[in-house]
Amino acid sequence: MQTSDLIRILPEIILAVAGIVVMLLGAFQKQNAGRMHPAIALLGLLGAAGAIAYQYPWRSLDPAFGGMLELDAFSAFFHILFFLVAALVVLSSSEYVAQERLASGEYHALLLFATMGMGLMASSNDLIMIFIGLEISSLASYILVGFRRGVATSSESSLKYFLLGSFATAFLLYGIALMFGATGATNLTEIHLALQAEQNTVTAMASPQLTPLVGPVPTALVGLSIALLFVGFAFKVSAVPFQIWTPDVYQGAPTPVTAFLSTGSKAAAFAVFLRVFMVALEGSAQDWVWLLWVSGLLSMVLGNLAALLQTNIKRMLAYSSIAHAGYILVAFTAHSEEGVAAVMFYLAAYALMNIGAFAVVSHFGNRGERYVEMEHYAGLGYRAPLLAASMTVFLLSLIGIPLTGGFFGKFYIFRAALHADLVWLTVLGVLNSAIAAYYYLRVIVFMYMHPAAEQIPVERVRPAMGFVLIFSMAATFLLGIFPQAVLDFASQAAALLLENLGNGVL
Amino acid sequence: MLLAVAVLSGFVMALAAPWLHRIARSTSGWVLALFPVALTVYFAGQAGRVAAGEVLAVSIDWVPSLGIALSFYLDGLSLLFALMISGIGALVVVYAGGYLAGHAHLGRFYAFLLMFLASMLGLVLANNVITLFVFWELTSVSSYLLIGFEHEREAARQAALQALLVTGLGGLALLAGLLLLGQAGGSMELSELLTRGEAIQAHPFYAPILLLILAGAFTKSAQFPFHFWLPSAMEAPTPVSAYLHSATMVKAGIYLLARFNPVLGGTELWFYIVTAAGAATMLIGAYLALQQSDLKRILAYSTMSALGMMVLLLGLGTELAVKAAIVSILVHALYKGALFLVAGAVDHETGTRDVDRLGGLRRAMPITAAAAALAALSMAGLPPLFGFIGKEMVYEAVFEAPTAVVLLTGVVVLSSMFLLAVAGVAGLRPFFGERASTPKHPHEAPLSLWLGPFLLAGLGLFSGLFPGAAGWLVSPAVAATWGQSTGVELALFHGWSPVLLLSAITVAGGLGLFAGRSACRRAASRLAIGSRWGATRWYELALDGINRLARAQTRFLQSGYLRYYLLTIIATMLGLTAYTLLSRAGLPVPQGSLQVPLYQAVLAGLILLAALAAVRLQTRLGAVAALGVVGYGVALIFVLFGAPDLAMTQFLVETLTVILLVLVLYHLPRFATLSTRRERVRDMAVALLAGGLMTALVLAAAAVQPQLEVSSYMADHSAALAHGRNVVNVILVDFRGLDTFGEITVLAVVGIGVYSLLKLRIRKGDRP
Repeated sequence: MQTSDLIRILPEIILAVAGIVVMLLGAFQKQNAGRMHPAIALLGLLGAAGAIAYQYPWRSLDPAFGGMLELDAFSAFFHILFFLVAALVVLSSSEYVAQERLASGEYHALLLFATMGMGLMASSNDLIMIFIGLEISSLASYILVGFRRGVATSSESSLKYFLLGSFATAFLLYGIALMFGATGATNLTEIHLALQAEQNTVTAMASPQLTPLVGPVPTALVGLSIALLFVGFAFKVSAVPFQIWTPDVYQGAPTPVTAFLSTGSKAAAFAVFLRVFMVALEGSAQDWVWLLWVSGLLSMVLGNLAALLQTNIKRMLAYSSIAHAGYILVAFTAHSEEGVAAVMFYLAAYALMNIGAFAVVSHFGNRGERYVEMEHYAGLGYRAPLLAASMTVFLLSLIGIPLTGGFFGKFYIFRAALHADLVWLTVLGVLNSAIAAYYYLRVIVFMYMHPAAEQIPVERVRPAMGFVLIFSMAATFLLGIFPQAVLDFASQAAALLLENLGNGVL
Repeated sequence: MLLAVAVLSGFVMALAAPWLHRIARSTSGWVLALFPVALTVYFAGQAGRVAAGEVLAVSIDWVPSLGIALSFYLDGLSLLFALMISGIGALVVVYAGGYLAGHAHLGRFYAFLLMFLASMLGLVLANNVITLFVFWELTSVSSYLLIGFEHEREAARQAALQALLVTGLGGLALLAGLLLLGQAGGSMELSELLTRGEAIQAHPFYAPILLLILAGAFTKSAQFPFHFWLPSAMEAPTPVSAYLHSATMVKAGIYLLARFNPVLGGTELWFYIVTAAGAATMLIGAYLALQQSDLKRILAYSTMSALGMMVLLLGLGTELAVKAAIVSILVHALYKGALFLVAGAVDHETGTRDVDRLGGLRRAMPITAAAAALAALSMAGLPPLFGFIGKEMVYEAVFEAPTAVVLLTGVVVLSSMFLLAVAGVAGLRPFFGERASTPKHPHEAPLSLWLGPFLLAGLGLFSGLFPGAAGWLVSPAVAATWGQSTGVELALFHGWSPVLLLSAITVAGGLGLFAGRSACRRAASRLAIGSRWGATRWYELALDGINRLARAQTRFLQSGYLRYYLLTIIATMLGLTAYTLLSRAGLPVPQGSLQVPLYQAVLAGLILLAALAAVRLQTRLGAVAALGVVGYGVALIFVLFGAPDLAMTQFLVETLTVILLVLVLYHLPRFATLSTRRERVRDMAVALLAGGLMTALVLAAAAVQPQLEVSSYMADHSAALAHGRNVVNVILVDFRGLDTFGEITVLAVVGIGVYSLLKLRIRKGDRP
């Protein structure tokens, strides 16, 4: 271990320390002085972001911990995204935590730990590290989902999430084991080389002291491993047919946590999904592209169809997040540099608009999440113009209307898919966005065109929440009008991720 | 550069409009109209250069890496549309100021209107196909806002949503088509694509490109079978109908067809689809127009018919047809805009739009009546109005159609007869004949309400009498559509020809229909084709079907029961792995000897028995205990095969699990319901499959035997590298010292966690 190794995981170290500090404060403070916790959490996130920025440019950093961690531009992109998501969630949950009397210290500590796990996921270049990162973030999320302990639905969704999640993780672990058995490596780059050479000799190159496992790679094991890895990742990104937990969990979880899960966790899962499949398994693309094709199409269709029927906004957004996973899978199916960049850009755009939408839902839901039905939004456009206007922007972006981030996200995805000759998938995806328009628009219709049925109190928007709304709205417009900077970042990161593989060098 | 400013300034004006309205108050319409007037002057100023064949272009980088530029260009076709958009826009802004005077949200209305105007300008001036799409969507959004402006009524909300859904669906199809087009043509710039028609038509993507782009154009221009949203959209305030639903937005589809004619047109596929859709729309629209009694719905259906005619002509694709189509665009914009505005003025003054209750208004509203009469005569296609010239050209073009001359001529003449009758009903009937009593006592409309129709209708007369000016404007547009320059000679009298005879027949037939319109309407209502087979019904059926499908799939997939969720996940996993295993390796065959020592067999039997017991037992505690036996059995196997450490862990975990489960389950009641026989069979099948598959996996994995001898490495190097003889110690504190450090940290953190839990307990205890 060298100092540079520690610097590579400095962001994670900072987050872990901040998390522990918050937890300790929560445990030892006499009064419930919850005000400190968000501040420390934000400081930690800021410090972690600084640690990422400090290592710029990320182009030529050597891998840390013997190739287990890789802080490349790809990882930096996701780190920044996670920190942004976590910071916005911290800010937007300040109202919620106070209102529901949640244990503030534990809440923020868990958020930080989950973010740390996600950070590890983004930079892991090794199946074992990926597994560890995934578990760190998942365990924290399981608890966060059930954080409203007095509420039955919250506990129910936490239990469902935990049980189903454990199953998926078990499959993932099985896949990792089989991959190790087949190639003798857990490092993604080594797996790539082993599969490319069809020789199971990488272990010898990596550490000459060990007796290598010589011989051809057993393709059956590789195929099985791919199937199992797919199951594990598809569960985490909530793609069909492993999406079933999503609506129940998203609905039962505290709204800010739902926002966190649907943006941060999803992005982290896609980050490892991308890295494993594009780095380690790109050579066997013919084995998994059809899986993504089918799963992507089904996710779009089933997610959108189910969302049409929902009357609960959280549940509607949950189904819509399944559909969005489908769109992202369309770009993934292209399995090209452009496809990877499209996935990254979309995740960023989706994160900002979705956090915004959930922030509105959270604020408007009031104590005990009483007002989360669509009919409660009737007439909101006149009683809380700014809240309704920002919700409109987020929904329009979710539809993919031009001048919002959602448009360029979709555009980029479909363009990448077309360049990979996925004409049918593209056309079906575009038609799906038309179905999706219907249920998003329905909310807008309710807000602006229906008279309010009952007098629902709208609380004043506190500064922290106001900041979240304005920030996400501005970012959504920014990505829709001046997307170039983020696009460049994403495409350079994607190029860098795949660049070395083409040449077959480490 | 000025071109880009001309487009984008509209959005700035839209933002400023509510504020300007607050300052200018009752004169705000006039003040705001200065902006479109300025645009009109600007575009008119470019007419000379464009007529000379020059093309103005400007390009600003937007998203270069995606090939998207904010690029605009102005040729004849764009100019014609730009002039209509800004010119009629100015009149409509003035009109809206009078029509909605005193309305609480008038400022917002202006904002939407100007936003629409700017989007429409962007649409017709865009050079980059993606920029075109962006503006296309913006027109959909702003028209949604405008149609739904009077959203207090349920019908307005429904209409707005319906219009947006239909045009939105078309818009997305268009996006897919444009993306494919960009791919096939190798450029995102229209000016480039226009020169690559042949390559694109030979491309395998040609058919999907054409179908997708046509879907966009047809939905926007209300072509059969997507026409139903247009009549419903008449819920919008009248200035909106006049502007969007006659002069501009519905013509966006026509613009698209004309624009892409050089690239996509001229093939058989284009000819059949476009001509057929146009002919069907033309006939249906004309027929339905005569059945209506609401003034605005009459005009909506007749607009549909006129749009159908333009589409039909563009489908024909001959030089004559293109000329006729472009002239028709201008003709229609002039008379239909006027008639819509008149309808609004009549509604405003009398309080009704029902033609059966209107009559003899000419004395009360002379100027409006004159404008209406001129516009109606133009619509009827009578000399010396511009409409006559247009209709003659249409007849000529159809007469020389490549195929199906008789059929097409029949359709066009029949529709024209209907339209002539409709013109009488909508433009003349309310003003002539006997004075009918109306809800409000009519007065002449204020200047702001009659200026627009009067100017538009007057222009129709002027262009008929002096067709040279219109010809000068139209020829560059024809050249752009036709793909090469060509002259357009417009004249009222073309000499004695069969076409003139057809015109005479049309007039006679139309007058006959006008006279017998009530009989015609009665007969039609008995048939009731529209309500039984109309597209509205299909739209509703489709929505209904999607909803039903959605409900079925949601009920099936989202039961809310954890056990079904688990079943789905396991079943899918089984399918995936079984497929891979069988397709790659076939069923693995166990290798080596099958001789099993007795004690191993006994152990296996014990595990099996315990597993069976866990399934069969009807109490929770019993099942948990049985599962514990399974776990211990597995641990014993570990012991037998030389993995005592693994066995230790397994023992611990098993014991803990059983204790925890027992503690939790103790509080639960007995099973209330047991699964049915069918469910059990299903579960058994899944379980057996899962078990079988796991066995197969183990066998497949056992075929690979990694020989990673780590222990010898440790034994060899512990003294040499770490100077320690106790290998275990060296491993713990040296070789994997960081791991040990991590483990200690974990223990510490766990300690803190336990402490905080304990504290929680104490705090609760403190409370009385």
